Amino acid sequence: MERQDIINGLVEILRTVRMVDQAKLESVTEETDFIADLNTPSTEMINIVSKIEQKFEVEFDDDDIDDMGSKVKDAVDLILKVKQRS
Amino acid sequence: MKVKGRKVAIVGMGGTFPNCTDIADFNHKLFDNQSLIREWDQALAFGKNLRSSVSGFITEAEAGLEMVPSAIYEKLPEIYIDKLNRVPDKNLATADVGSIWAMINTLDAIKMAGWSKEETESEQTAVIMASGGPGSSILRAGWDLFFHLGSKSRHAGSHLVDRTMSYREVANVSCLIKNKGISESIISACATGLGNIGHAYRLISYGLQDRAITGGVEATSIEAFAGFDGMMILSRGFSPEESSRPFDKDRNGFVCSFGSGIVALEEYEMAKARGAKILAVIDGYFNNSDGDGDMFYPSFDGQKRLWKGLLAETGIKPDVVKVHGTSTPSGDSIELFGVVSTLGESGYHISAPKSQFGHMLGAAGAVELISSILMLENQKVLPCLNSVNLNPELERFQSNPEWTGTMKPMEAYRDLIPQKSFSKEINHITCLNYGFGGTNSSISISKDY
Repeated sequence: MERQDIINGLVEILRTVRMVDQAKLESVTEETDFIADLNTPSTEMINIVSKIEQKFEVEFDDDDIDDMGSKVKDAVDLILKVKQRS
Repeated sequence: MKVKGRKVAIVGMGGTFPNCTDIADFNHKLFDNQSLIREWDQALAFGKNLRSSVSGFITEAEAGLEMVPSAIYEKLPEIYIDKLNRVPDKNLATADVGSIWAMINTLDAIKMAGWSKEETESEQTAVIMASGGPGSSILRAGWDLFFHLGSKSRHAGSHLVDRTMSYREVANVSCLIKNKGISESIISACATGLGNIGHAYRLISYGLQDRAITGGVEATSIEAFAGFDGMMILSRGFSPEESSRPFDKDRNGFVCSFGSGIVALEEYEMAKARGAKILAVIDGYFNNSDGDGDMFYPSFDGQKRLWKGLLAETGIKPDVVKVHGTSTPSGDSIELFGVVSTLGESGYHISAPKSQFGHMLGAAGAVELISSILMLENQKVLPCLNSVNLNPELERFQSNPEWTGTMKPMEAYRDLIPQKSFSKEINHITCLNYGFGGTNSSISISKDY
């Protein structure tokens, strides 16, 4: 799976989260920060992570989530790492 | 203690009511002697597993809401959308349906009160409200996911706690209006609605706060309905509009209903000084406990002491007594005899709004206070719908040697119990509500002069 495909998938997820600033989803890059750039409440990250697991058919360990950064590239890296691990 | 000369005014109100579009519709239907109780499709879906199928329920669509199901589990609401854009998404994310009603009703009450942003956000503005039950529908789905489907706890989302905790309505309303004063919940079973308003009244009359948003909520919940149905205390065997029948000799239980009532309270002189419309003045509030160790059965002694405490504070004989009047066999008779033993046999009337919309549990006291404010505004008494026949025989407990109340049957008090709404001069109304565990609450309100 290409990194851009994952980013596109992440944007699809973010479009379903009403607290995310939808106008900013047009210009999401790997450097986009979920919290600082998209105004995502930190509590919503838990829900976003669950949606990522479902969409990309991966299961994160608790440590994976605890250690994940808040940028889009952190999520992409984690998805690829977990896919490789499994 | 009360600060001498400090009075409390009701200056705003808002509500979510069964089968009503808004408070104006609620007002019209009540004084038009209509019932707001309907056959409930959610209850009917359980067939013979539920005894009762009538309720004063409110659907999400009727309240202008749409549930977005969780992508993980379709029975778990991820969020509700406010189709009328009254509440921001950020606040909707942390709210169950009851908390959303409370937020919408709060905005309506503040608008009616005419409070400025500064007044609303002040350290002198309190938020005091609660519901009788937990956020059952969301808990049920969240627990299904974890306990039965073996999912991770985080799959229930990050809002299982804030959408279901006892404090959820206050938490959500306070975050919405950004008040800086006292925010807390009083939980007292079916006296919760009035208990919160009474507590808020005390905060203002004791000089601790100048304003309060307060009331009671009970979101539509088949889970709550099933709990009471299992106790076999819900009305059955009547058409929906005839199923709530306080004082009628054929009554066989209450109608489990849902709704929300929020009022805005303000220190009287402050409200007057800014030219606010005073909907009513609170004369006093008193609450107590039965103290007889009985969880369910009403206490004649407890209710007499309730009256004594209220009258000691206000000294006001009401023109109308808005009773708890649930339509349960023992509750209505004990309450009627408590009223007549205190106020005598004439000079006032009894109103039982549950006859029109059922028992809204934790919201009951608040919605019924709003009904009483409407009685003051309309100068009309709301009826005890379906109180067609009153028992001409003595109640069984009246032959108990320890009984100290009247030795007349309920039928002797027919003149106090109207079956239709009617006009009369109303200056003072007393409201009564009780709850499981023997908790009793009373409040006296008057027309402003």
